[in-house]
Amino acid sequence: MMNGSTPLLEIRDLHVRFKIYEGELKVLNGVDLRIDEGEKVGLVGETGCGKTTTIKSVLRVLPMPPARIIKGEILYKGKDILKMRRAEIPSLRRGEISAIFQDPLTSLNPVFTIGQQLGDIIKFSLKNQGMKRVKRENIRLNAASLLKETGMPDPERILKSYPVQLSGGMRQRVCISEALRVNVNLLMADEPTTNLDVTIQDQILRRLDDLVEKRGTSILLITHSLGVVRNLTHRVYIMYAGNIIETAETRELFKNPLHPYTQGLLKTVPRLTGEGVSKGIPGRIPNYLDPPRGCRYHPRCDHRMPICKKDRPPLYVMELDRKASSDPAISSGGRIKEDHRVACYLYRSRAE
Amino acid sequence: MARNRPVRSALEAKRVNISKGWYKFSRNPLSVLGLGVLIVIVFAALLAPFITPYPEHAGPFTDFRRSSLPPSLTHLFGTDTVGRDVFSRVIFGYRFSLLLAIVVISLSVPPGILLGLVAGYTRRHWIEIAIMRITDIFLAVPPLVLALAITAMLSPNLLNQMMAISLMWWPWYCRLVYSVTTSLRHEYFVHDAELTGARKMFILLRTVLPNCVGPILTKITLDMGFVITLGASLSFIGLGVQPPKPGLGTMVADGAKRLPAEWWMTVFPALAIVAVILSFNLIGDGLRDMFAVEEI
Amino acid sequence: MKGPILTVENLKKYFFTKQGTVKAVDRVSFSVIQGETFGLVGESGSGKTTIAHTIVGIYAPSGGAALFKGKNIGVDSSRRSIDLKKDIRIVFQDPGSSLNPRWSIKQILDLPLRVHSANAGPERLERVRELLSMVELPPEEYLYKYPPSMGGGEKQMVAIARALATNPSFVALDEPTSALDVSVQAKIINLLMGLQEKLHLTYLFITHDLSLMRNMATRVAIMYLGKICEVAPTVAFFQRPFHPYTRMLLSSIQVISDQEEELKPKKIISRGEIPSPVNVPPGCSFHLRCPERMDICRRVDPVMVEHETGHFVRCHLYPDRSGRQPTDA
Repeated sequence: MMNGSTPLLEIRDLHVRFKIYEGELKVLNGVDLRIDEGEKVGLVGETGCGKTTTIKSVLRVLPMPPARIIKGEILYKGKDILKMRRAEIPSLRRGEISAIFQDPLTSLNPVFTIGQQLGDIIKFSLKNQGMKRVKRENIRLNAASLLKETGMPDPERILKSYPVQLSGGMRQRVCISEALRVNVNLLMADEPTTNLDVTIQDQILRRLDDLVEKRGTSILLITHSLGVVRNLTHRVYIMYAGNIIETAETRELFKNPLHPYTQGLLKTVPRLTGEGVSKGIPGRIPNYLDPPRGCRYHPRCDHRMPICKKDRPPLYVMELDRKASSDPAISSGGRIKEDHRVACYLYRSRAE
Repeated sequence: MARNRPVRSALEAKRVNISKGWYKFSRNPLSVLGLGVLIVIVFAALLAPFITPYPEHAGPFTDFRRSSLPPSLTHLFGTDTVGRDVFSRVIFGYRFSLLLAIVVISLSVPPGILLGLVAGYTRRHWIEIAIMRITDIFLAVPPLVLALAITAMLSPNLLNQMMAISLMWWPWYCRLVYSVTTSLRHEYFVHDAELTGARKMFILLRTVLPNCVGPILTKITLDMGFVITLGASLSFIGLGVQPPKPGLGTMVADGAKRLPAEWWMTVFPALAIVAVILSFNLIGDGLRDMFAVEEI
Repeated sequence: MKGPILTVENLKKYFFTKQGTVKAVDRVSFSVIQGETFGLVGESGSGKTTIAHTIVGIYAPSGGAALFKGKNIGVDSSRRSIDLKKDIRIVFQDPGSSLNPRWSIKQILDLPLRVHSANAGPERLERVRELLSMVELPPEEYLYKYPPSMGGGEKQMVAIARALATNPSFVALDEPTSALDVSVQAKIINLLMGLQEKLHLTYLFITHDLSLMRNMATRVAIMYLGKICEVAPTVAFFQRPFHPYTRMLLSSIQVISDQEEELKPKKIISRGEIPSPVNVPPGCSFHLRCPERMDICRRVDPVMVEHETGHFVRCHLYPDRSGRQPTDA
């Protein structure tokens, strides 16, 4: 992964609004995000910050009334997804981008067996790649091997089962198989393990990590759990109220959180060291009907300044300590250290 | 109107709820159309004696000089074989149809709901089984056949027709409410009411029932259509509204003999039936949206 | 020294289904001291929610005894006295379904008051406002709101207010913050802890989030497939876990700092899935996944032993040396 080549996915200045009875919800307020090939990127934000809306926009599954895309681009391999015609979308979803969601039970059709569902998906993907006729036997073997890769014991039995007969962990593994069929380039996982038990969560995340590394798939991992993101991603975006407010390489972010929200967030996570529970961040997430002007976090911020109420701060690039790595290829396994960016006027003067 | 202000009193809350409900309903233009048509029909039926050009034609009236006239400015829908104005009779016919629908629904829905609630909520399995099997028995008999049998046993008139149809309508509501109740039975908010110590009737009527209102109302609107059709069918074969009263079904039957030359005698009453049923059905969609619980 | 407010002895709750008998709670014994926060930890199928539901009265136990302030509570709520219903309350796991979506917050908070107090409407309304203020939700804004238009955190706070409306002494909190974000969780936990002190409450706190438990509970019990594996005061539980399942669980948590990583037991790769509760393995129910299993574990179910003062564990690695009868925790 090098800086300078076309990113796999790039979201530029995305603004999305929803019309409801009370007015219009200005959900996404200029989201900027980039994922390169083979990268594992985390998107962290709390409920209501707009992360699900963001991925739904990428997949183009937002219900278009009441949702409206005001402006922005979503470039996949250079092409704007938002401008694609409806007819082009299915092939995008089949072969390039896939997703897994939070609740595997509602992601799977309860009246079909796993074999039927997985088989359908494999069939469509293979056809999408140009294979004319696909033998049923091939599909079944394909499905069984996909399941095995995700660590399922006894794949043959699973193929014959219905979703309700499986545990949550197994269902999520099925969803992962479906998502990783036929080498997609980008996997978007929206809270994939939040509903699962801790030990299963651990297993599945590790499995996901293995699979993704092996195939070189990029992954956008969306979660509100900082712990998950810390162990699994190269880079993290922190999202608040429809904006990206900080982004950096994962290690760097945890070592050096800059934005007041990020700092507050890290403080509220209960620690195994037993320091007690922090007071949390005062205030509430803004009302999207009438969001605060300027920086959307300013009403809750201890460090707010007059300018914060006027304009939304851009993502300032923090100059990293370059002297330790004059050769850009050193540091984090051959990858160039990514810049640490933060959308906060506190850092305006430090920005390069 | 500032829709975003917090609500500060119970009265205001009710007003906001109604306004919100209308907003959700009105997002379906067809439903609004259906509602409009229905309102016109209902008013027309209520004010029939005052707005129809020939109200006396709705009773025993003959004028053979004016029989079988095609639609014209004086007789919008033409006249029938004995000289009565079809338009006026159609409006009066609506009275019977709507009355039938209202009475049947009023008689059949409350017992159905009550039985459904009890069957779905009770912990005593035998009560549940008893109620549902009785429901099944009633559902197994084809409605038209049962209505035929009953009205044939008693004398054929509107009243008997209403009672016969009511008898076979309640099981549907029982089943509907039963299925909603069983699915809500183990929701945490129901458990909480029980644990707090609320009495069973309170839980059934105030906790469970409000969550059934959506499907019930939607079904009622669709059923109005079915009941009117059933009533018209019975009248068509002579077991409902008796002549000289203007039942829509009866009018269709009588006029059918005059097809295709004197088409207006059948077509207009038939279209009138279609209009009222269609308007109910269209309203049903809007109602369903209105009652959907939406999470933000 | 305060005494136990709740004692549970060999409590059983079995469900009879077509696939077999589900032993959701299988001979569980523990006591909760007045004023403490007793933590119950476990994964799905462990039985922790069933225990809470049985204590609170959604079910009657299938066997064993439960005593609250000395009185027998081994019956379901329809057979309990009104005073008992007032005194033991619960905050449910899923804020979405614990509030009636068709009722306003005012109606939701009014119900317990209607049942348990003799006050008329205006006085009850005053109390409702008081309750909303207690959970830091401005009454003017929330009285006439409906649950579907509220966020999970707000709903949970209403659920807490509802539980406390009757001035109980004991509150069961079943995963009260699991569905919520960390910042909202922090707010609610702080609220709960403040209220516990102010109103002299005893909590039975259930969660699967061990980091949260570390900061909330005075004592922790961990459950697996209907049985308690280990009970200990919080610090001992986390610093010196004995049971292999406890160690497995602790080693799986996702932490956010290196210091916390150090505190976790050596990485135990968790294997396998939790077996179906209809098909509980013979002997020790954990043996199929246990990295330390021995031959005896396949055949004999271990008994609870007090390995250190106040620290109980049920595992063949810590056999009962004294020949005593199984102790209550």
